[in-house]
Amino acid sequence: MFRERFSYAPFVWPFVIGLIFFLCFFVAAIVRVFKELPQSDKIKFGKSLFTKQTLVSIKEIFMECLLHRRIFQRDPLLGFMHMSIAFGWFMIIVLGHIEVKLYCPNHLNLPYFPIFFRYFVKQTDSTLGGAIFFFLMDFFLLMVLIGIGIAIYKRINSRIVGMRRTTRLKIYDWLALYSLWSIFPLRLLAESFTSSISGGSFLTRGFGLLFDSFVSNSVHVVPTWWAYSTALGVFFIAMPFSRYMHILTEPFLILLRNAGIRTVRHGQGYALTETFACSRCGICLDPCQMVLPGRMDKKATVYFISNLRYNHMETAREMAEMCMQCGRCVAACPVGIDSCRLKLSVKTDNQMGQGDTYLQYLNPASDALPAEIQPVVRQMPEKPDVVYFAGCMSHLTPAIPRAMQTLFKAAGIRYRYLDENGSVCCGRPLMLAGQEEAARQLIAKNTELIVKSGAQTLVTSCPICYRVFTEEYKLPIRVVHHTVFIRDLIAAGKLSTEPVQERVTYHDPCDLGRGSGIYEAPREILKDMAVLQRAYEEKDQALCCGGSLGSNLMPYETRRKIAADAFNRLTFRNPDVLVTACPLCKKTFQDVADRPVLDIAQYVATHLRAQKADAAPVEETPYRAAV
Amino acid sequence: MVNFGFTINKSTRIDYDQASKDVSRYVIAHEPSALLCIGCGCCTATCSAGQFTPFNLRRIQLQVHRGELARLEQETEKCMLCGKCQMVCPRGVNTRHLVMTIHKAMTLYNRGELKDL
Amino acid sequence: MDTSSQRHVVVIGAGIAGMEASAQLQGLGYAVTLLEEQPQTGGNLLTWDRLFPFKRPASEVLGELRSRLGGIHVLTSRRILNIEKLNAQFILTVNDGTVLTADAVLVATGFKPFDAYRKEEYGYGIYDNVFTSVDIERMFREERRILTRSGEVPRRVGFIHCVGSRDEKAGNRYCSKVCCVTAVKQASELKEMYPDCEVFCFYMDLRMFDRHYEQMYLDAQTRYGVTFVRGRLSEAAETIDKRIAIKVEDTLVGKPMKMTVDMLVLMVGMEGRTTQLYNSPTLGLSVGKDRFLNAVDEYTDNNLSRTEGVFLAGTCTGPKHIPEVLADAGAAALRIHRYLCQKA
Repeated sequence: MFRERFSYAPFVWPFVIGLIFFLCFFVAAIVRVFKELPQSDKIKFGKSLFTKQTLVSIKEIFMECLLHRRIFQRDPLLGFMHMSIAFGWFMIIVLGHIEVKLYCPNHLNLPYFPIFFRYFVKQTDSTLGGAIFFFLMDFFLLMVLIGIGIAIYKRINSRIVGMRRTTRLKIYDWLALYSLWSIFPLRLLAESFTSSISGGSFLTRGFGLLFDSFVSNSVHVVPTWWAYSTALGVFFIAMPFSRYMHILTEPFLILLRNAGIRTVRHGQGYALTETFACSRCGICLDPCQMVLPGRMDKKATVYFISNLRYNHMETAREMAEMCMQCGRCVAACPVGIDSCRLKLSVKTDNQMGQGDTYLQYLNPASDALPAEIQPVVRQMPEKPDVVYFAGCMSHLTPAIPRAMQTLFKAAGIRYRYLDENGSVCCGRPLMLAGQEEAARQLIAKNTELIVKSGAQTLVTSCPICYRVFTEEYKLPIRVVHHTVFIRDLIAAGKLSTEPVQERVTYHDPCDLGRGSGIYEAPREILKDMAVLQRAYEEKDQALCCGGSLGSNLMPYETRRKIAADAFNRLTFRNPDVLVTACPLCKKTFQDVADRPVLDIAQYVATHLRAQKADAAPVEETPYRAAV
Repeated sequence: MVNFGFTINKSTRIDYDQASKDVSRYVIAHEPSALLCIGCGCCTATCSAGQFTPFNLRRIQLQVHRGELARLEQETEKCMLCGKCQMVCPRGVNTRHLVMTIHKAMTLYNRGELKDL
Repeated sequence: MDTSSQRHVVVIGAGIAGMEASAQLQGLGYAVTLLEEQPQTGGNLLTWDRLFPFKRPASEVLGELRSRLGGIHVLTSRRILNIEKLNAQFILTVNDGTVLTADAVLVATGFKPFDAYRKEEYGYGIYDNVFTSVDIERMFREERRILTRSGEVPRRVGFIHCVGSRDEKAGNRYCSKVCCVTAVKQASELKEMYPDCEVFCFYMDLRMFDRHYEQMYLDAQTRYGVTFVRGRLSEAAETIDKRIAIKVEDTLVGKPMKMTVDMLVLMVGMEGRTTQLYNSPTLGLSVGKDRFLNAVDEYTDNNLSRTEGVFLAGTCTGPKHIPEVLADAGAAALRIHRYLCQKA
């Protein structure tokens, strides 16, 4: 049986003030974000509501914001820490409200009432229903307390939760952090001191009896409730300025993202939501190769977003320009923030020129392309099956286009080598440098050249080109990277390889793997040819070679350090050769390598099984260790 | 009328005493690897834009340091930033950013906004 | 000579430095063992045909150096498996089971030519008609003729200076010293052989540093008609008829240039050897970032390693040409002599 003792006490004020402040801020922020969304995104969002997608989003919110599934996958203890705080707290709130609804159904339910329920309502824990409630409330309180315990220990030794580094905090973060740490121990104290009056379960009752033996509980009841309320109030006031804003922003971000909305401009709409959704957990620190071995600790994504949020634009811009855009932080981010896109949106602020001046020579009016690279005037086989675009970088790794030509011939494919004498750049390097306007010019020109060639399939050797061809070009023909093309030729029996007694490790290029999702094709080829040794960091965890065009600022020395470190980590199982599928990765690794670094096309071409007599003779493409 | 950036009265030799060093100073401050260049011409030889235009990074960056600034802003707008030059540079000059920095410096200079650092 | 108290010096590497130092040490009265990994003495000198500046046959120089080795214990095709130090003496275990005891050790392991495969954009090992300066020297020596892969007399040849030298990307910041003059020598020899062949040297800076080298350069221009173009090769491609299309900038004209040559010759530089020996804790060698060995003092103690009783000579401490190596080897022998006298 219960009896309502009070319905108001002065100590509720700190909490109430904090809550009102926070809610006002949050509502204003949501309104702002919506206002800033482009019209098309608003429509997208509207359409996504109350569909199947909504259920998916709700499930994702439950799995990520409360249970923190992605963090669990990374490190169980770190996942448990986040889960116990988030889910435990969530359950305390939910159960608190159910309690109020059950026991005081007619009460005017002011927001503070469930929070200080134990003070206001004398309840009994002797009935079964009461006992279960008290038990559950204590259980989840214990869960949160354990989580807080781990969090405090993590600050001292982050390695326990699998993190080498943890983030440096801002003043508001410290305020919020300390208040968050104190909220639940204070709640425990307050409820324990009140337990002889209002009841309790194993935790609160136990502590109540324990305290009773050496302090006079009744004296401490009101001060501890004051302290509890104050901690909550401070937390709510600090929250909008601290990283804890992520708690409520993340569900909102999930809704927007699942509606297909993406960053357009930094500081606005979706990008703003992303900046606030960053919990600064620091999980992106360890994957970042600028941090180690680059020794640029402060350049990691977490600090970039933090600078963006606090509007330190110059610093943020410099960080965006330094970043190699490898996407390892995006792959690791438990919130799913596309920081690469955020960084690009910051970079595009510095447009070098508009289309009418920049790259003027590409304007359709000024036909400056020399005859030798015009595909129509060159002598080519009639009706090509494929058009081959090696890419600028492949001209610096001639073994790759040469191997591709060997393979085309061996498979009996009629091809046109579109950029044999050089061509217009694909445009992705310009995009990565933030020069989107100019990139559009190149895209238009290249599209024209490719369409003119008349082929139905475009094969490229460069993942950088491949990514921009598939993402930005609207080509009416099939675009395929040579890894997939070769895999398909082998599967169709047009190429066959001989077994090689070698141990091989495959390196996933950023733009091919994380960028385009091609992980399996090269592995299928290599598995059938040689002993494929897994790299410790592979697929979406794969390392950046350091040659990336994503960075504008990175000095060569740092690039070389990153390359050497990545090469060492890739070859720790001591493979005979390192195989990759990107001319830039190949070139970068070759400069630091102690063993052959080969493109997959080269590897296949070197180990082709002798073909039928009528097939074109296969040229030898030898490779040798660079020792 | 094409503006060649000089008048008939001016001498065509580099007047180093009169030449502005502001752009050079700005470029070196913002891309220190500009100091590494030995003028081997590798960047220009491999240049993708160089197939279509007389874009010549080696000459442009030398002109910056000699204060020969006429038309440099437009010159840098020919670059496709493809990065081949960066790959072949024997000194490890950060060529892509060098082009961007020269462009930025020249824009500021032409607007009269390039003050002391 | 009193052999019972005779001190023993082991010289590692029978190149020019090793041979010369051994001869000098023997002249000073020491017992010398000269160890060589290869089946014969001579080191990199074996790969040369004629030597700059006077085109003297390398075999003559080699013969002269070898003739001074009388009385020296020369062990070829030997690798050192282990080196220990007992009191002041070094104990070396060789791969044929021999154990040598030495009062001093001279490291004269020399250099290795840059591996041209590492500059993939130049197409060595990919295109038929790309060669290294070492290949050309071998052709001069063994075939007495320079021909393309398909056996034709070349009508145009390009020599590329600084391949693997002065190149951050190859990890070699230093100048290899001798490639410029070698290119001038080989280009002149080629013109001498085929006066109608066009020969080009593509250089970044021409470093004609020694006494007679400028004369060679002058002769190359005027007597032989070699053309010098200031520009570094960025990339090469193979044409359908197996010729090599190269891209350079003629930096003095200020324009990019395309040229098709029948043969491309890469002037490979010197690289420090990173052999097992370099890791021996007994020798305690200090290997620089450039993989050459560091002496205690580059000004005053050029031949001294950081370990007592271990000395350095020749190109293991940096690129040198033959007169420098000979001087260095002699100096090293004297330093060893001084060391052993002080110990006696």
